[in-house]
Amino acid sequence: MEPVIPILEAENLERSFGPIQALKGISLKVHSGEIVGLLGPNGAGKTTALRILAGILSPSAGWVRIQGVDLREDPLQAKRRLGFLSGDTQPYQRLTPVEMLRYFGQLYQMEESRLRRRIEELVAMLEMRDFAERRCGTLSTGQKQRANIARAFLHEPEVLILDEPTTALDVVTGQFIIQSIRREREAGRAILLSTHIMGEAEYLCDRIYLLHEGLVFDHGSVGDILVRTACSNLNDAFLCYAKP
Amino acid sequence: MRWGIVLVIFLKELRESLRDRRTLIMMIGLPILLYPALSLFVGSLVQSRQASMESRTSQIAVWGNLPAPLSDHLKRHTNILLQPWLGISEVLRKDLESDTAEGLQAVAPTNSSSMKPDRSTDGEMAKDPFFIAARSLLTERKADAVLIPWPGIARALDRNGLGQVSIYSDSVRGDSREAERRLTEALRQYRRALVAEREQILDLEPGFGTGLQINNWNVAPNRRQTGLVLGSLLPFLLIVLTASSGIYAAIDLTAGEKERNTMQTLLCAPIHCSEVIGGKFLAVWSISLLAALANFASVAATTARMLPSEMNVQVGLSTYLLAFLLLIPVAFIVSAVYLAVAVFARDFKDGQNFLTPVIFLVMFPGAITLIPDLELNVWNSFIPLANIALLIKALFMGELQAELVFLTLISCVAHAGLALLLASRVFAREQILLGGHGTFSTLFSRTAPRNEDPSPALAAVVYGFLITVVFYGSLLLQDSEIITSVVVSELGFFLLPVVLLTLALGFSPRRTFALGRPTGAGLLAAVLIGGSAWTFIGGILIRLLPPPESFVKAMEKILLLRQDTPPLWTVWLVLALIPAVCEEFFFRGFILAALRRLGRWPAILISALLFGLAHASIYRLLPTLCLGVLLGWLVWKTGSISCGILAHALNNGIPLTLLNTAAQDSVADSASNPFLPWSLTLAGSAVLMIGILLLAAIPARPEDSSSPDRTSRGPIPV
Repeated sequence: MEPVIPILEAENLERSFGPIQALKGISLKVHSGEIVGLLGPNGAGKTTALRILAGILSPSAGWVRIQGVDLREDPLQAKRRLGFLSGDTQPYQRLTPVEMLRYFGQLYQMEESRLRRRIEELVAMLEMRDFAERRCGTLSTGQKQRANIARAFLHEPEVLILDEPTTALDVVTGQFIIQSIRREREAGRAILLSTHIMGEAEYLCDRIYLLHEGLVFDHGSVGDILVRTACSNLNDAFLCYAKP
Repeated sequence: MRWGIVLVIFLKELRESLRDRRTLIMMIGLPILLYPALSLFVGSLVQSRQASMESRTSQIAVWGNLPAPLSDHLKRHTNILLQPWLGISEVLRKDLESDTAEGLQAVAPTNSSSMKPDRSTDGEMAKDPFFIAARSLLTERKADAVLIPWPGIARALDRNGLGQVSIYSDSVRGDSREAERRLTEALRQYRRALVAEREQILDLEPGFGTGLQINNWNVAPNRRQTGLVLGSLLPFLLIVLTASSGIYAAIDLTAGEKERNTMQTLLCAPIHCSEVIGGKFLAVWSISLLAALANFASVAATTARMLPSEMNVQVGLSTYLLAFLLLIPVAFIVSAVYLAVAVFARDFKDGQNFLTPVIFLVMFPGAITLIPDLELNVWNSFIPLANIALLIKALFMGELQAELVFLTLISCVAHAGLALLLASRVFAREQILLGGHGTFSTLFSRTAPRNEDPSPALAAVVYGFLITVVFYGSLLLQDSEIITSVVVSELGFFLLPVVLLTLALGFSPRRTFALGRPTGAGLLAAVLIGGSAWTFIGGILIRLLPPPESFVKAMEKILLLRQDTPPLWTVWLVLALIPAVCEEFFFRGFILAALRRLGRWPAILISALLFGLAHASIYRLLPTLCLGVLLGWLVWKTGSISCGILAHALNNGIPLTLLNTAAQDSVADSASNPFLPWSLTLAGSAVLMIGILLLAAIPARPEDSSSPDRTSRGPIPV
């Protein structure tokens, strides 16, 4: 049965950087238990949009609500409900994954017992036992990304915002991350995912927003988009839209 | 701001920083090694240089014929070797041997007691052929000094006359300076013996030839002389090393985070920007303080070992502890400035480029103690970092003055607050924080909507800036008429700036300056409080910290009590009404409005403290602080600045009227009894209590907010 309550909503988001208008008014919704993809070429405004939705940047216009909580009016409450992960984020080099998780757990004001339990769960789930007590600066790229994922999932947020989470990862690790994301969807999370890898988007996403030059120029399920563009895969569909 | 979150961020940043090898080396390794290495290396070098020079025989070129007794006397000094006619030209030698050297008497020094090597290297002497020849010889290092016994010396000495010699030396060369010293000492010995011999032969009283013996004594104890040396060098070293230790941590916690892309991860956590800056600042400050502690421990250990043996003196542990305490504001200021500057950088290397000029800015004020004879005074007590350096110097020399310490500490608080506000403002700028293209000018763009109250941050900036202007402006005006000085200071430095700022930034003047209409009860309370507070202040508070006589006399001058009696209306206008209006608009208007969001009592107490500090005297702090609390509460409760003005004017005017009347009627020196009689004190305090009770009974205004605004969204925008 299709979920109807949007957990993450954004309406008419705009953002300028000096003379450059990165976002010209985008709106989107993500429901619990679904993965929504945000796709587009470089410079489309994906990263800006995700940063605004994560509360890192403020929009010039528009609003964002997370489970009905306005991100601008009550940022602390809204941010407690979301987890953010970026493919280019590094963990703290001189902390171990466990120390980093404890740190963020304290920032999210998690109770000590719950924090301890979650750390154990995540270490087991993401197969981090071998390196959980080693400093992050000594870990491989894949291990660092697992530590990052653990940080994003730590406080069991209702919303996950993932900005190219499998960037620079090998196939095995990438696949591991994808399966973790799917598990979170099964657990009822609302997930907004940005990726350059169309195959990944086709496999994971229930719905997709296509972004170009700061505007959403199409959205819908993968099937609907393929039908509208008369293409057999997302890659071709995207190229159809991207042609002048 | 949640202090628990600040603590979490602080502990994490501190842990990470302390795990960094470079931070540990700068913080602990360098100080522990530096001072012992300096003392050992420099000490050994100086000692060996000294020993080498002492063991070396000075080569003295003698141009002329020394009388035999003098020659024998000099030859008895084994550290001097006379080299007759070494390096002189035949022409000059002939002149000296034949007594025909032109202008010999003019060239030969007429004041033979001042045989200083640094006389006259330019001008007439530089044209003299002997001077030129001696300079050439010494520059080429063929001799260490040149001695010219001028022709006629033997004859003069035989006749009990005045013989003349000249010594030429090169002050740039250590061995030449040593040769000059040895030769001068030997010649003085000869002169003393010669004079004593003449006195004996001529049967004169001993001392006839000397006339006047001058005994010079240096009263500075070893401790103080040592203090001067330590106080000149150590503040510079300590300030620079303390400042340097925080740089790496500041860059790592800002630009480093941006480079590693962990900053945006931190920002999507449910925390305020103010908590981020708070935690990071505490970490950088702690590291700087740990470095300061390591520096002090090393200095104390090194000097504890050296001083007793070298100079028979010890510096107490309390001196080091106090000096360390004085480095706390230094570390505070530089940590905040580093964070504010480093956050503009996009990566670590960028951060180093940004902060290198800042380190030079820190070094210059720290180096002020290297300037001889420069001490802490009212003028430099407000210059950041330089004032601390001079205060540490004064501490080592044992010359602390309470008023200057107070002024320096106020200045430190003001500068530290400004630095932290700057850092906070920078951190509130998303563009800068996320490695975008933020520029310095964006710091001054206004983000708050108009017609709100001024913010605490703005109030702090305005206060810090204006107090500095008032301080130096008052010094510049101190030679003017008191009346002119007061009027210019009050109107120009307190009233006008805040009125113009309020209008320019679009704040509501009615709300900012509490221009509401007072009630009858409010006015009555103002009269009772203003009419009696001075008795409590003069009778009780002054007794707690009695001012010295010099302070009382200075106050009498300011209060026009030592002049030809001014008319009473002048006293009331200049010393009561104008200060009341101007200071109330500033402190209970602008400042109190800005602090309103912190809650009633925090706002009143902070504004009262700022009011007290603004009077720039430790003896006036407690009385003015207490008055500030009363006036702040009065304005808050009544919602009307006019009540504050009335009370303030009465508080100033009534005692001045009484003092002026007493000054006219009697010749008694008021300085002999600065306290009010107990009868007046008790009566006045009773009236004050009635006024306070009346004020408490006034019902709260509907818009009175006694609890702070708890929906703060981050650093309060300026």
